[in-house]
Amino acid sequence: MKTTKLIVGLAFSALSLTSINANAQEKFFQAVGTPYNPKVEIAFNRYYTYEGLVDNMKKIAAAHPDIAKIESIGKSYQGRDMMTLTITDFSTGKDTDKPAMWIDGNIHSNEIQGGEFSLYAAWYLTEMHADNEFIQQLLKDKTFYITPTINPDARNDFFNEPNTANSPRSGMMVLDNDGDGLAGEDGMDDLDGDGHITMMIRKSPTGRYIKDPQDPRKLIMVGADKVGEYEMLGQEGTDGDGDGRVNDDGVGYYDPNRDWGWNWQPDYIQRGALRYPFTLPENRNIMEFVMKHPNIAGAQSFHNSGGLILRGPGAEEDVSTYNREDIRIYDAIASKGEEMIPGYRYVTVYKDLYSVFGGELDWFYGTRGVFTYSNELMNSYLYFHKEGQGRRNQDELFDVDQLLTMGDAFVMWHEYEHPQFGTVEIGGFKKTFGRAHPGFLLEQDAHRNAAFTIYHAYHTPKLSVMDVKEEDLGGGLKSITATIFNERLMPTHASQDLKYNIERPDYVTISGASVVAGFVVEDEDFNKFSEQKLNPEKISVANIPGMTGVKVKWIVSSGSNYSITVDSAKGGKASWKK
Amino acid sequence: MRKSLLIGLLIGSLGWSVGAHAQTDYPTLSQVNQRLQKLGSNSSAELTSLTKTEGGKDIWVLKVGTGELDQKPAIGVVGGVEGFHVLSVELAIQFAEKLISEHADILESTTFYVFPNMSPDAYEQYHAALKYERRGNAVSVDHDRDGKPGDNGYTDLDGNGMITWMRVEDPTGDFVISKKDDRVMEKADRSKGEAGKYIVLKESKDDDKDGKFAEDLKEGIAFNKSLTYKFPIFEPLAGDIAVSQKESRALLDYLFDQWNIFAFVTFSPANNLSSPLKYNAGEARKRIVTSILEKDQALNAMVSGVYNETISEKAFQQTNQGTDGDFFQWAYFHFGRLSFGTPGYWTPEFKGKTNPEENYLAWADSLGWENVYTPWKEIQHPDFPGKKVEVGGINPFVMVNPPFEKVGEIAEEHTNFILKLAAMQPKLEMHNIKIEGIGNGLTRISVDLFNNSPIPTHSQMGESSRWLRKVRVDMNIPADRIISGNKIELIDVIGAYEKVELSWIVNGKGDIPVKAGASHVGFVNATFKL
Repeated sequence: MKTTKLIVGLAFSALSLTSINANAQEKFFQAVGTPYNPKVEIAFNRYYTYEGLVDNMKKIAAAHPDIAKIESIGKSYQGRDMMTLTITDFSTGKDTDKPAMWIDGNIHSNEIQGGEFSLYAAWYLTEMHADNEFIQQLLKDKTFYITPTINPDARNDFFNEPNTANSPRSGMMVLDNDGDGLAGEDGMDDLDGDGHITMMIRKSPTGRYIKDPQDPRKLIMVGADKVGEYEMLGQEGTDGDGDGRVNDDGVGYYDPNRDWGWNWQPDYIQRGALRYPFTLPENRNIMEFVMKHPNIAGAQSFHNSGGLILRGPGAEEDVSTYNREDIRIYDAIASKGEEMIPGYRYVTVYKDLYSVFGGELDWFYGTRGVFTYSNELMNSYLYFHKEGQGRRNQDELFDVDQLLTMGDAFVMWHEYEHPQFGTVEIGGFKKTFGRAHPGFLLEQDAHRNAAFTIYHAYHTPKLSVMDVKEEDLGGGLKSITATIFNERLMPTHASQDLKYNIERPDYVTISGASVVAGFVVEDEDFNKFSEQKLNPEKISVANIPGMTGVKVKWIVSSGSNYSITVDSAKGGKASWKK
Repeated sequence: MRKSLLIGLLIGSLGWSVGAHAQTDYPTLSQVNQRLQKLGSNSSAELTSLTKTEGGKDIWVLKVGTGELDQKPAIGVVGGVEGFHVLSVELAIQFAEKLISEHADILESTTFYVFPNMSPDAYEQYHAALKYERRGNAVSVDHDRDGKPGDNGYTDLDGNGMITWMRVEDPTGDFVISKKDDRVMEKADRSKGEAGKYIVLKESKDDDKDGKFAEDLKEGIAFNKSLTYKFPIFEPLAGDIAVSQKESRALLDYLFDQWNIFAFVTFSPANNLSSPLKYNAGEARKRIVTSILEKDQALNAMVSGVYNETISEKAFQQTNQGTDGDFFQWAYFHFGRLSFGTPGYWTPEFKGKTNPEENYLAWADSLGWENVYTPWKEIQHPDFPGKKVEVGGINPFVMVNPPFEKVGEIAEEHTNFILKLAAMQPKLEMHNIKIEGIGNGLTRISVDLFNNSPIPTHSQMGESSRWLRKVRVDMNIPADRIISGNKIELIDVIGAYEKVELSWIVNGKGDIPVKAGASHVGFVNATFKL
């Protein structure tokens, strides 16, 4: 009996699968955890220009109108629209009524893959939504604001113009880098026209280098008592302004990640800062968006490289800003991230990286009380699953290019007649190697980092009203006690938020009852209450901590069909009805 | 034709003098605008509106100069940094008027930027039906961060059209009536075991019922509390983000494009002219610098000496040397310029009184000034039922702004000070030019580039700023004629009365034009004849 039923059940489910996806079944079968027949096909083994990213974002919004919409949050310096996807289940409430996660990438324009990783998160959430219960619930509860590139002008410059792996770091504003009163008069020169700014060497009797006889790609220093063959001339380029230095005044010099308003400092203190916080239109657009979206409770800003999960403070002077309770939450989420993303380490910017003012993650936390990480994407561990020395380990990179990328990452030395140096040889690693993932590593790492941001978003507050109790006080009065439960790690107000009253309190409101007095319960067992004299039906609660709750109490003179609602800027809304 | 011009001039000057005499109080914004328009019509002046504030008021800059304005060192004169300091606006405008009509000769060497009023939204309160000392602009701000913007401002409880003070008789208060002057409230002297008798608050009600009074004002962001140096984030009148306002961004964006300003004179409560800022080695060495640098302190002291020689009123209780987020400190610490500030006016020491209010009232009494004080009068206060509440005290504006008839002399003296500062500006000269043939068509040229001024080309702070250009020396001949030495030489700083020795070896014959300088120190040109 039992067996028959089971078999019938199995047959049914198999039948339903085949009938729905009859065609797909013939060609592919779902790998666990990945949308296998997505409405929007996106290859995650290549990079996208600004137009490529926006094209995919538009397709996502068009294919999933019930859970995704796309908007421009403002123009870049050169006038490109900064496109943001809002992803949430709109049928369960407005995006602004739910706790939200901000995700962006590419603030440093050469740190490109933040664009693809953000796009992957948007794609994964929307494509998995139909079949995955976890994602369905997540999008009922939360909102994601995803802006894959927040530096669209220079993203395109990185791809379309000659650059190194490290340029441009800034946007496309042209300033006077070398202090001669002229701006941008000595930029990059792609002498061999391959789109990559590599290195120049020259044969010289006093040079201290030779080409490695076993690997002509490598330049090695000769022994102290040996005569060399080559000298290093530095970056591929010319001295465009005649001041004796090559490529010394191109676009930028400024750093978009020194432009944010928490403890902002001027250029002489913090190199790369501009005139005042949010001088850059790109950052200003984000700031204005975030200020208008007080529901943003978590944020991720993707950088490269090194395989790091960074938290603030960025500056040593800000150590006291990050206090113990908040660090406990930072630690809990990020240590899970270390498990989810092999090779990535959780570190603190000021002590493990460098001490820096005016960064984005410090602004999100310092000025908005938003729990924020920056992941430094790509890690040499991903190549051979060995702890290497990152981009500094040239030998490992040569091995990678020989064994895994088949020579695709290196421009072989070739001769060039240079107007200032005579005959030189140009060659070296391409701009898309080292900091950027090779294609075959991109999708996996994108998935792991997206999963981490989803875990991060999952732990923004989730509020409910529970355990509502009545007690008859006699004389027509009764007391009503309710618990507001937050079943996730993050509080509705970070301790930074509480310190400065950054965001308004959470409101717990009773309606349908005549309220005589209202209290926040401080200690129920010992009858300790703090009374709110004005508007007692709408109790202001300073904070609803994570994984626990707060209790409120009213004394009412009438009302049996009352309801209780919670309204929190970062914690969303919840209600209870008798 | 000539006659009508003459008559026109006569009428013009007549109109002006009538206007000047008719003025008995600080001007309204429309009177300010009229005077600025008139100044702007002068050939050496250009009036530009940088932006309009949230309240729809223009932020003006009057740029005054002749010839190549941007190639001459310039002084920025700033007023209205605090909206309640109406004197400062008048001082800036009168400076501009005197500069153009009486001292136009100085425009040969110096350019001036006059920003007469950075807080026009707040300035208006002086002439409004309800007068109070206002700092914030017209933006809606939630100063007490309770989720509702501007929901507890002032209330004119005694209906006299002014916001003064209120005192509530209450044994928990920490104020008492001064024994020396019963109009004045002072803190009970706890060190002598004295008990307080009054709570003293600004004239207001607890509109939002949070137990606090006048903590969420119906005004916006204060210009002088919202710039980047020591920005007091989240404080009332400062907001969440520095330089967030239309007027502050417009001013800074403008200033960052004017490379020739070497010094600012700001009329605001902060004062480093009566006595210079104090150097603190520890604070100067930190990553975030919060002390004037050592060399700049000496410079400040020198300029301060000039100020004290020029201004007849002896300084008294001038302890404000800058407040967080203000303009005066920003100009030095974040913009690298010499920055001088003065309120222009203060109550002088009178009969040895140390309490500023007692001192002020005694002085005002001696001069027979009226309308400076509202006698304490009992009122009914809804938030203090059954308690004795009185409204009164010193009227708004009077302690920081003198009666208008005193302004003329203050403006005259401060104009003289600014002109003396301009006369001291950095001045580059070339001396000891030597042109020596060294054979085979080669010539060695040497020259001393000398700064003939008590002020260095760059303040010590300015040396590290990207927003001051270096002194640049250009040899205007093809690079291949220069055998040694640089075609373009950049110099970080030339000190007061100091020189930099330059030398080149060049090939061939023909005149060599050389230009040296930077826009904030001016340029010197020479031609070496070979």
